[in-house]
Amino acid sequence: MIAEYGQLALTFALCISLALAIVPLYGSFKGQQTALQLGNPLAYALFLLTAFSFWALSYAFWANDFTVVYVATNSNSLLPWYYRLTAVWGGHEGSMLLWLLTLSGWIAAVALFSRSLPLQFQGRILGVMGLVALGFYAFVLFMSNPFERSLPYFPVDGRDLNPLLQDFGMIIHPPMLYMGYVGFAVSFAFAIAALMGGKFDSTWARWARPWTLAAWLFLTLGIMLGSWWAYNELGWGGWWFWDPVENASFMPWLVGTALIHSLAVTEKRGTFKSWTVLLAIAAFSLSLLGAFLVRSGVLVSVHSFAADPSRGLYLLAFLLVVVGGSLLLYALRMNSVRSQARYELFSREVLLWGNNIFLLTATLVVLLGTLFPLVHKELGLGSISIGEPFFNQLFYYLVIPFALLLGLGPWVRWKQQQVKPLLKPMSLIAIATLILALGTLATLQSVQANLALLGLLLGAWVGSSAIFELLQRLQQFGSVKQGLTKLNASHFGMTLAHIGFAVLVIGVAMTKTYSVETQVRMKAGEQVELAGYQFRLVEVYPLDGPNYKGEAAELDVSYKGDYVTHLHAEKRFYTVQRSVMTEAAVHARLSRDLYVALGESLNDDSWALSLYVKPFVRWIWLGGLLMALGGLIALCDKRYRRRVGDQKETTELKDTTDA
Amino acid sequence: MRKLAFFIPFVLFIALSVFLFSGLFSNPMERESSVLDQPLPAFALPDLHQPEKIWTPDSIKGKPLLLNVWGTWCVTCNAELAYLTELREQGVMIVGLYYQQPVDAAFGEVFNLSALQQEVTLKLEQQGNPYQWNILDKDRTLIFDLGVTGAPETFLIDAQGIIRYHHIGDINPQVWQQKLAAAYQSLQE
Amino acid sequence: MKYFFFSLLLFTAAAQATQALTEFKSPEQRALFKELTHELRCPKCQNQNIADSNAVVAVDMRAKTLELVQQGQNKEQVLDYMKSRYGDFVHYQPPLNKFTLILWLLPALMVCGLIVLLLLRRRADRGAAATDPDDKTQSQPEQQLEQQLDQLIEQYRRKS
Repeated sequence: MIAEYGQLALTFALCISLALAIVPLYGSFKGQQTALQLGNPLAYALFLLTAFSFWALSYAFWANDFTVVYVATNSNSLLPWYYRLTAVWGGHEGSMLLWLLTLSGWIAAVALFSRSLPLQFQGRILGVMGLVALGFYAFVLFMSNPFERSLPYFPVDGRDLNPLLQDFGMIIHPPMLYMGYVGFAVSFAFAIAALMGGKFDSTWARWARPWTLAAWLFLTLGIMLGSWWAYNELGWGGWWFWDPVENASFMPWLVGTALIHSLAVTEKRGTFKSWTVLLAIAAFSLSLLGAFLVRSGVLVSVHSFAADPSRGLYLLAFLLVVVGGSLLLYALRMNSVRSQARYELFSREVLLWGNNIFLLTATLVVLLGTLFPLVHKELGLGSISIGEPFFNQLFYYLVIPFALLLGLGPWVRWKQQQVKPLLKPMSLIAIATLILALGTLATLQSVQANLALLGLLLGAWVGSSAIFELLQRLQQFGSVKQGLTKLNASHFGMTLAHIGFAVLVIGVAMTKTYSVETQVRMKAGEQVELAGYQFRLVEVYPLDGPNYKGEAAELDVSYKGDYVTHLHAEKRFYTVQRSVMTEAAVHARLSRDLYVALGESLNDDSWALSLYVKPFVRWIWLGGLLMALGGLIALCDKRYRRRVGDQKETTELKDTTDA
Repeated sequence: MRKLAFFIPFVLFIALSVFLFSGLFSNPMERESSVLDQPLPAFALPDLHQPEKIWTPDSIKGKPLLLNVWGTWCVTCNAELAYLTELREQGVMIVGLYYQQPVDAAFGEVFNLSALQQEVTLKLEQQGNPYQWNILDKDRTLIFDLGVTGAPETFLIDAQGIIRYHHIGDINPQVWQQKLAAAYQSLQE
Repeated sequence: MKYFFFSLLLFTAAAQATQALTEFKSPEQRALFKELTHELRCPKCQNQNIADSNAVVAVDMRAKTLELVQQGQNKEQVLDYMKSRYGDFVHYQPPLNKFTLILWLLPALMVCGLIVLLLLRRRADRGAAATDPDDKTQSQPEQQLEQQLDQLIEQYRRKS
């Protein structure tokens, strides 16, 4: 019965979303207070109903209710309880329910935290989000119902969760990712609501910014978790594949980053308005495009859910209505909005535009690489593939000017920056950069290290610039200590996020240049040397897991004779899905990862093993984590919690260098 | 002018949607064949039942024929055997190219020719035998050179040994009527 | 820590030849094989390169790549070999022809276009800020006033 209650709750939620889509919007246009005030209770009701529905599905998984088709397809009685629960989002229908839960969560959050917004504006925001929600609730209920039963027949046991998904990463990667994707619906709604009203003062930007930051930081975490998960689960030490589904999450991230920076300009200087609005529409549109690509079968991907053309059609129609509609509204309304500002060519405004240039070109590159094969084929020109070589090549060219600008940006003031005062700090940073980068390479005694050198230079440039700028800024308060308490959170967030980017760039460059691997055959007791490490295979023995069988290998690793660690690698055969999984053994340190994957058993009692030493690979995820943390800190800035009508509305006096 | 510029994102999006729409109805894994209008690649492979007899491109030239890549392990291939046998009875010349799956030495598997021959004979007795003869591609060399990725796949080869058509998937009445029949007939002339 | 870094150099000389699963005549060949298996696409899989896939055709392609590399062929030759059998689809780098040129051209155009857009927008914004957009001379004294104001702000900030 629980499943039926879950479906019932979902049906009620659909009706609520319909009301949410209509009532507050109507109230906003007719000036009806009661209609507007209904927005909040509707939002809370939507969330509660959806949460109940989600709980109902989770319960079905927990209780091994295989009469529910979705549970039977994605779970198994032998599956450990924590994977039974995460299997809720292991397939299309359940992940859509997660999408709904996240969406209703954000809607409720907007209702909760928007006391300082004018009611009419808030009503429109909730209304727009209600419209989006309506489309998705209808999609789930009519085309992807997770609660469908197969009664009167039902399987004795389920088909098990794909072993690839039976990993910690699966528990947390999709929820984080969805919080990000779906979170951009809030800034989207802010943009549409503002377009409806035709007013774009700078408070609009100030209100929109924390929501954008929040969505962005979740998306950053989600993408990083996905990369980390792939590294651990797929068995060959890769952390990014430019797979269409990965690209689908990367594009909103790139545009979201551009949006945060464009919002800064609109908030501080009241210009770039039309651009910011367009970016807000684009970020969520790319999220929707991503959902379409992943679930329609248009592209080939290891990640895609089972393809269904009818679902694809619905999603495309939905895309046309939401994105097409908003872009049309943009074209019709934005024209009447004029920005006014003066700024020199050497000013923060221009540098932030530079940031946008490269982020958006990167988005275009990813979009082209993902969709051009489809276009090429539909035009009858044949099938081509676009993958890693293409993306790496173009990103290599784009990251250089981008990082150079990033190092410069935080120093440059709004409106106008004189070059002379910057000469000293910039030279110091340049020197620090060269020392750090060349010094690291010198200890590596590396000759052929173009990529590593580039990464180190760019990373050191951005990182040392961020730190120096922060120190200088803190000192302006009298002393660094005084500054620590007085400088706003935004600034700390910015510095940390920029440092995070530097760390990421270094990680990518170093790991790409210096990773080494070897595939060997080993018998128990034998030893292989790689990059100064001795890997000794101690023994291989059979495994018997809850829903798998297989072999495990134990290895001892030493470095120049000194014991480093013990590694445990597995090769599992999941009996229900009949698939083989490699559980790689990873020994993680900031300086390098040791990575061992157990391969086939060979006919003379020896085993095939893949051994990897991957320097600096942790820096990649550390960088992402720092960026997300920076976003979180920036979110906590006092000015976002200031109520309307509070004194000290401005900031042009104090914050000529502020974020 | 500025007013029109604001419509650019909308227009671009609609253009994109057109491709997304047409993409919904096409198969992204579909690939054109790279060997069309080229002669059969060089090969020298034994007959499956009479290994002393070696087949080469020259020895199968002379008449237009269907070269059908198949295996007893392949479920779809078994399903198409009945219809292919019908085509044989109608006078279509069909030659089998047997796709031998890799044998895993690490597991102690060995290639057993006589066992394979028995399997094939049994299968063809059960489902029907469309083949004039079967070429055994034990190491998948010809299969690789033809750009085959799985079974069943069928090549239409003209009398001069030029590959005219490469069909991926099984051959059933619709496929024959819509795609291959006309081509085969025209090659007869 | 430093000593660890030293040893990274050693990898090319590491004595694994007797136990390696595949033999190469030189580290360049080994590197070429790795590069190729990562750039060639499995024609039957859901978007995997031949290094990562266990499909029969991927295994065959890997074996063939190994053979060709060990024979001394270069990257160009191996790619041509594969493409002549499986098409452009099987290489993750798109071919460069007049249709695919757009892949490199569009991003370049976008960068240029956005720079131009900035300059146009800046002119429009500046124009909107002044009372008479076409009269540049009027903005001069305004600019001076603004500069003085900026200097005052700077002094104020230094003091506080």
